[in-house]
Amino acid sequence: MSESGLIEQERYTCAIGALQSVVAIPRALPILHSGPGCGSMVLGFYERATGYAGGYTTPCTNFSEAEVVFGGVERLHSIIDNSYKVIKSDLQVVLTGCTADIVGDDVASVVGEFTERGRPLVHVETAGFKHNNYVAHSNVVNAIIDQYVDGFVLDYLPRSDRKLVNVFASLPYQDPFWKGNLREYKRLLEALGLEVNILFGPQSDGVTEWQSIPAANFNILISPWYGLPVVERLEEKYGQPWYQFPYLPIGANETRRFLEGVLAFADSLDGEQAVGLDAVRAKAFIEREEHAFYEEIDNLATFLLEFRYGLPNHVHVLHDAGYVLGLARFLLHEVGIVPKEQFIVDNTPEQHQEHVRSLLAATSEKREIPVRFDPDAGAAQDVLRNVKHRGRGLIVGSGWDKELAREKGCDFLLAAAPCPYRLVMTTNYVGLSGGLRVIEDIYATVLASYA
Amino acid sequence: MSKQLKQIAIYGKGGIGKSTTTSNLSAALADMGYRVMQFGCDPKADSTNTLRDGTYIPTVLDLLREKKQVDAHEAIFTGYNSIYCVEAGGPAPGVGCAGRGIITAVQLLKQQRIFEELDLDYVIYDVLGDVVCGGFAVPIREGIAQHVFTVSSADFMAIYAANNLFKGIQKYSNAGGALLGGVIANSISHPFQREIIDDFVCRTKTQVMQYVPRSITVTQSELSGKTTIEGAPESEQAAVYRELARRIDEHTDSKTPAPLGPEQLKNWAASWADQLVAIEIGEVRGEKEAI
Ligand SMILES: Nc1ncnc2c1ncn2[C@@H]1O[C@H](COP(=O)(O)OP(=O)(O)O)[C@@H](O)[C@H]1O
Ligand code: SF4
Ligand SMILES: [Mg+2]
Repeated sequence: MSESGLIEQERYTCAIGALQSVVAIPRALPILHSGPGCGSMVLGFYERATGYAGGYTTPCTNFSEAEVVFGGVERLHSIIDNSYKVIKSDLQVVLTGCTADIVGDDVASVVGEFTERGRPLVHVETAGFKHNNYVAHSNVVNAIIDQYVDGFVLDYLPRSDRKLVNVFASLPYQDPFWKGNLREYKRLLEALGLEVNILFGPQSDGVTEWQSIPAANFNILISPWYGLPVVERLEEKYGQPWYQFPYLPIGANETRRFLEGVLAFADSLDGEQAVGLDAVRAKAFIEREEHAFYEEIDNLATFLLEFRYGLPNHVHVLHDAGYVLGLARFLLHEVGIVPKEQFIVDNTPEQHQEHVRSLLAATSEKREIPVRFDPDAGAAQDVLRNVKHRGRGLIVGSGWDKELAREKGCDFLLAAAPCPYRLVMTTNYVGLSGGLRVIEDIYATVLASYA
Repeated sequence: MSKQLKQIAIYGKGGIGKSTTTSNLSAALADMGYRVMQFGCDPKADSTNTLRDGTYIPTVLDLLREKKQVDAHEAIFTGYNSIYCVEAGGPAPGVGCAGRGIITAVQLLKQQRIFEELDLDYVIYDVLGDVVCGGFAVPIREGIAQHVFTVSSADFMAIYAANNLFKGIQKYSNAGGALLGGVIANSISHPFQREIIDDFVCRTKTQVMQYVPRSITVTQSELSGKTTIEGAPESEQAAVYRELARRIDEHTDSKTPAPLGPEQLKNWAASWADQLVAIEIGEVRGEKEAI
């Protein structure tokens, strides 16, 4: 952060951006109790982020001066009431913005009136002055667990389904590849013999899936820090243990490490909670996936040999901690592009930085990878402007880094929010297929530069 | 010839006698021939009651609650001797933001240039409490009022509130905010109470504008819905208020006060507490009376 305390080019939104986590739950409805600008800000930041009830569909109390002075609960009451008349939804989540939280509206009691009548309504404080959306995502998920899911615990007794797992990974929309990534996690884990609550996106069954959260035998967290409060809460509530894979598993090495980690964890549960996975089948699956992966790498090797000139040999990633770690590992070990200065721009809380640092250090025994934690991506760019390395460079970052890449004559891969110059629909970057896709995308840009 | 509008803000802890003092001040100034507006900035909205036979008037925020566009004239009512009475009002207790309510109400009158239009000599803001949040600081910020007076008794809680107000004034003093005129000492019945106040103003580099005794005349007038000036114009108490009005009318130079720091305030109170205990058990009284 600069001395002025101002930061430039935040690569995330304020807490209310976590409304996208609600948008990502099939047939869930976010209701904003905030100024009219909050929703527009979120809408402007993410691409194609409307989903079922996001964007201009999201009801909002348009909190303004009268609500500040007199309180906005009456208006909230009528907006909720009217939302039921206009939009069919299975779950509604009221998210409060700065003004409502400063004034201290008693949102809980308004919501209580509706829940008493059996409405599946949840509320959560997402004032921008408190957190960013990386943190608020967990608050939203925990609010839904506490205020909604918990009501079904008699139907889904804690840990009653030994093969079922809840997965907490990509932040919807903040991770531009979230849909594809979640789909890939689900596919991989199911292939091991697990049943998977993926919870967000089209692969989720929506509220029925959420209701069964307590029944899961254990939880899987694929993240260095965001989402941690969710698995901690679930452990506290339902006694579910959790397995953490602290970055995105991209490519063959890391996907194997991830899946073997899950298998070992499942194996460690015994007695009543024994998962009973078919180890032989799981192993065969991993090998088959790898076979397909290496067939492509083999072909690529020939291509790389012929193309020795003008391929990137080093990379700078500007992304959240999960991506920086995942991409650095993959690009170094499986693509041969050396990670130089890395920039973690997700405002990683200080207590997690040391762990992330050590994970990055463990990427290579031979070289140290310099890393900078700074939500000020403008400052990161200034650093990058002044570093020089031999050979052709690659920058992986958000749309705001495109110009910098041009300036430095680097190849550029757009893989972080905001992501205006790229259309992503269901592409995944995680897993083995994700690794191949990263390679495709990098060389597509490189080859495009040879007319 | 355009005259100079004098805007005054009266602050003090709740229940200390701000509205009583302010209303009597307004009444006395009106009797002196000035055109006066009293602007109650307390969600209780009872500042101007004794100027209007004990009745409540609709508040600016009541009107704003009903409609988006409010003509400020709808919120202005005349009372004793043509004093213009306005109440900012506020949200229901525990709801919304009263501070923002005051900002909104003050802005409404300012934007519609009411003070100029009514050709006022005095606007007197009667503001709740010490400066608890930005909204309550509005009359002293942005040069809305030029002079602040604080009503305080010799109670420590009232003095703490006054000291907090001084901090607020000090904070805005460099940015064109209002400065402190002095303290109006209210409910002063014993010499030691006078001493406490005198000691406090001396340490904080300000002055006492007037010592107002606690008086049954005030209560009697209030019960008939009147200020003392109106209800008991011949009384001694009315003379005290008239003298206060005269001094405030003559007052020109307000200053930045020197509020006590938390530690200073604590020590100051502790030293007085010892003396008060002594008075209570009669040790000092005899001595004092002997002097
Ligand atoms: N000097 C005084 N003598 C007797 N009663 C007083 C005096 N000053 C205030 N009071 C009484 O104290 C009560 C509170 O005064 P008020 O002016 O309403 O306080 P505030 O406006 O500070 O909340 C009223 O009943 C008022 O009559
Ligand atoms: S910072 Fe506050 S006001 Fe701004 S968009 Fe976020 S919630 Fe809304
Ligand atoms: Mg009052």
